[in-house]
Amino acid sequence: MTDAMTLHASSTAEMIVCDAVDKWYGDFQALKGVSATIAEREVVVVLGPSGSGKSTWIRCINRLEAHQGGRIVVDGVELTNDTRNIEKIRSEVGMVFQQFNLFPHLTVLDNITLAPRWVRKVPKADAEAKAMELLETVGIPEQAEKFPGQLSGGQQQRVAIARALAMEPRVMLFDEPTSALDPEMIKEVLDVMKGLARSGMTMIVVTHEMGFAREVADRIIFMESGEIVEVGTPEHFFTNPTEDRTKLFLSQIL
Amino acid sequence: MSGMITVEEAEEVVALPPEQPSLPPGEWIRKNLFSSIGNGVLTVLFALLLVFAFRGLVNFAFENPERDWDAVRANLRLYMTFAYPLDQYVRVWVSLGIVLSLSGLSAGLWSPDGYVSARRISTWFLGGGAVLLAAALAVQGQLQRDENGEFLIDEDLELIRGSWASGLGSRISWFALAAILIGAGAAIWFGLGDRRRNTFVRTVNLTYAGFGVIVGSLWVVRYGHYNGSPAEGTHYADPDSLVAMSTRLPWTVMWVLLGVSYFVGKAVRGWPLLKPLALTFWGLLPFFVFWVVLRDPDIDWAHVWTTDLPMYLAFAVIGGAVLFTLTNPSLGEIGRALAFVLLLVAVFTFVGGFFGWFSMLQKARLSFVFLAAFALVANNFAGEFAKRRTFVIGWLLTLGVMHYFVTLINSASTLNIRSDSFLGGFMFTIFAAVFGLMFSFPLGVLLALARTSSLPIFRLLATTFIEVVRGIPFITVLFFFSIMLPLFLPEGMEVAEHGAVIVGLVLFSSAYLAENVRGGLQSVRRGQYEAADATGLTTAQRTGLIVLPQALRVSIPPLVGQTISSYKETSLFAIVGIFDFLRIANNVVPNQSSPINFVGHKREGLLFVSLIYWIGSYAMSKYSQKLEKKLGVGSR
Ligand SMILES: Nc1ncnc2c1ncn2[C@@H]1O[C@H](COP(=O)(O)OP(=O)(O)OP(=O)(O)O)[C@@H](O)[C@H]1O
Ligand SMILES: [Mg+2]
Repeated sequence: MTDAMTLHASSTAEMIVCDAVDKWYGDFQALKGVSATIAEREVVVVLGPSGSGKSTWIRCINRLEAHQGGRIVVDGVELTNDTRNIEKIRSEVGMVFQQFNLFPHLTVLDNITLAPRWVRKVPKADAEAKAMELLETVGIPEQAEKFPGQLSGGQQQRVAIARALAMEPRVMLFDEPTSALDPEMIKEVLDVMKGLARSGMTMIVVTHEMGFAREVADRIIFMESGEIVEVGTPEHFFTNPTEDRTKLFLSQIL
Repeated sequence: MSGMITVEEAEEVVALPPEQPSLPPGEWIRKNLFSSIGNGVLTVLFALLLVFAFRGLVNFAFENPERDWDAVRANLRLYMTFAYPLDQYVRVWVSLGIVLSLSGLSAGLWSPDGYVSARRISTWFLGGGAVLLAAALAVQGQLQRDENGEFLIDEDLELIRGSWASGLGSRISWFALAAILIGAGAAIWFGLGDRRRNTFVRTVNLTYAGFGVIVGSLWVVRYGHYNGSPAEGTHYADPDSLVAMSTRLPWTVMWVLLGVSYFVGKAVRGWPLLKPLALTFWGLLPFFVFWVVLRDPDIDWAHVWTTDLPMYLAFAVIGGAVLFTLTNPSLGEIGRALAFVLLLVAVFTFVGGFFGWFSMLQKARLSFVFLAAFALVANNFAGEFAKRRTFVIGWLLTLGVMHYFVTLINSASTLNIRSDSFLGGFMFTIFAAVFGLMFSFPLGVLLALARTSSLPIFRLLATTFIEVVRGIPFITVLFFFSIMLPLFLPEGMEVAEHGAVIVGLVLFSSAYLAENVRGGLQSVRRGQYEAADATGLTTAQRTGLIVLPQALRVSIPPLVGQTISSYKETSLFAIVGIFDFLRIANNVVPNQSSPINFVGHKREGLLFVSLIYWIGSYAMSKYSQKLEKKLGVGSR
């Protein structure tokens, strides 16, 4: 572990703490003792080859997958089988998926207001006002009445981001948010994410966009075979990585 | 013609791609019917088959001396409402009036924007005229009679007919009607010219006009009203009377009601809450029509004041207070615990009643069940005061409606006939189909959810039920329920045979519906579940708001298919001795010897009921196609 990590963790409040997290799919161990601490307002980019467990890890953080060993604490609440904890954490952790996963039978506006109205019990008018604000932020207020199937991929992903933000989460998880997009749409989504990072949101981003990692990340976590191999600032990571596996990975993609 | 007038009135121009120039007829026939030798042979074979089948049907229907359409015409009341007491018959019309008024109102409220192009309408006229012309030409020769008017027969005992041409004379009126229809079709086609594709008539207007034409014909067309003379056991067609002497006035009232309610619906369209209210009325309608209008309950008012009303008030006030507390957003876990306790109480009242531990009014038991159900979903209505108030008002109304109906069901009927035997004919078929659908649909959805749930006990129960029911023929289920159901019920609880077979239908079709819904559930992608979870929805919210709406959309075609088969399967009720629509055609009329002798006239009735069943099924299947298009199945 590098100095950068300890520095960060001590300087601000801890938002997410993972301690020796293990995860098995049957006999296959997808996460092997993953430990990391993410501070409030920090932006962490997770890199690694395909199958290295990046998705598995961040899906454990909002309990879309249950971990079998170690501890995960989000904003002071430990994730256990207790459904109350899970619901609390899920409503405070927003997630954006590679495949958008918008609700196809609801309009954009309904997609965004659904959870605030049913989970947070926000009155309809307030929820819709807030949703329009968010659509404004992601740049597509004019699409509010359309259905997801009528939008381009980039617009859909921006709606998905707005949907996650509508719950006013304290942490946002992104699992390859631009991988299913055509090149010309990637930028519009990354711009929204950059704006979000500047506004001080705590973010964990799994991505292959090196430009984004270099520009926005406070720290980069490199994973392979279910383990965290190296952690460091973008500078450290892209200029003089210490681990051989990191160097190999970078030589393949850069 | 009223259809034509509407064409001019509702003319609307919509931009469409230019009409493809149609192939010349010779070219079209060559391309579609005789494109190869094999196709040519098939075309000729099918054409011959069609001609013979059509000829046989038409000649049975109109030329066969053995057929007697009076078997249907004179028995229409029997077919439609069986033994409903004549002195109370106005109730049947009132029921129909309520249904039609609500239909008109809903049509006005929702104003469905369906259109039919003038081109389509013109092809209907042309097609109808062509079929009529073909039927007129398919006539057999006139039967030969001797001087006494008896039919002549040859040595093989076959009736002797004259030449084909001799029969044509009897069809002058058919040719005339065919000419009118073809003329009208051609007039629309050529009169509008190129605009025929861009000229549209609202489907509602067209339907209303069609209904009007039928109702109008009751006043005009001379069929010869059936006139029996019981003394001689014979009957004759009175050429001076009109068909439907007794029904033309009520039908006209129905037609006017439909139109008036449509305009009322249109006028109040903007008002809030009307649509959910209309839907609620639709849901209550079958119960209201059956128990209030047709059965005419003899309510014991003394009992109402001393027992029923106080009980309602007690549940309303205490239940309302409990539910208002449960919707307090800051209540948290205590709410769930309390709801669970209420559920236990509800179950206990039923178990206790079943084993006779304590006596309790059915209504009180049901009220506990309703309260528990409301308590379980209360969490979803937590929020600001207005939201909680709406929830409690919903409780008061639901409870009131439930108590009202239980009171009605427990009251005797004022009709002086035995139990439910007034219910029969097409009226019963409709009731069975509607009640069947209303109950089997939710049950089917629950079964499908249980079968796909993560709790093994639910999975096991649902799977067992579905597989057992699907492995038993429906007719067996019916026998079982009509004869054996009483053995399984607690003492003192009885179900009329009519109710029992409907329960059988509900259980049977719910198993099939469940499989259809399960197919839909499997088509909802994993990502949808994950997205719902990730936004913090509870499992119940995820199911009701995200998964089911998508699953049901996908399952519309099989669901409608299942609905259509349940509608037709009600005809099996005839076998367990219920006087449903089919049984009247198959058993009642053919055995009727007084006042008129219709013994043996089965075929006319069977043709008639087939036609009516077909119209219902076809309408449903057309509607489902529309619904699919509207919901964009496959495109979104
Ligand atoms: N539901 C599952 N059942 C069994 N194995 C799984 C499951 N989900 C993931 N795995 C396995 O766990 C490992 C880690 O998967 P994960 O999806 O986390 O990788 P990733 O780093 O996100 O890869 P990618 O960049 O391709 O998305 C892989 O070897 C994968 O095959
Ligand atoms: Mg992944």
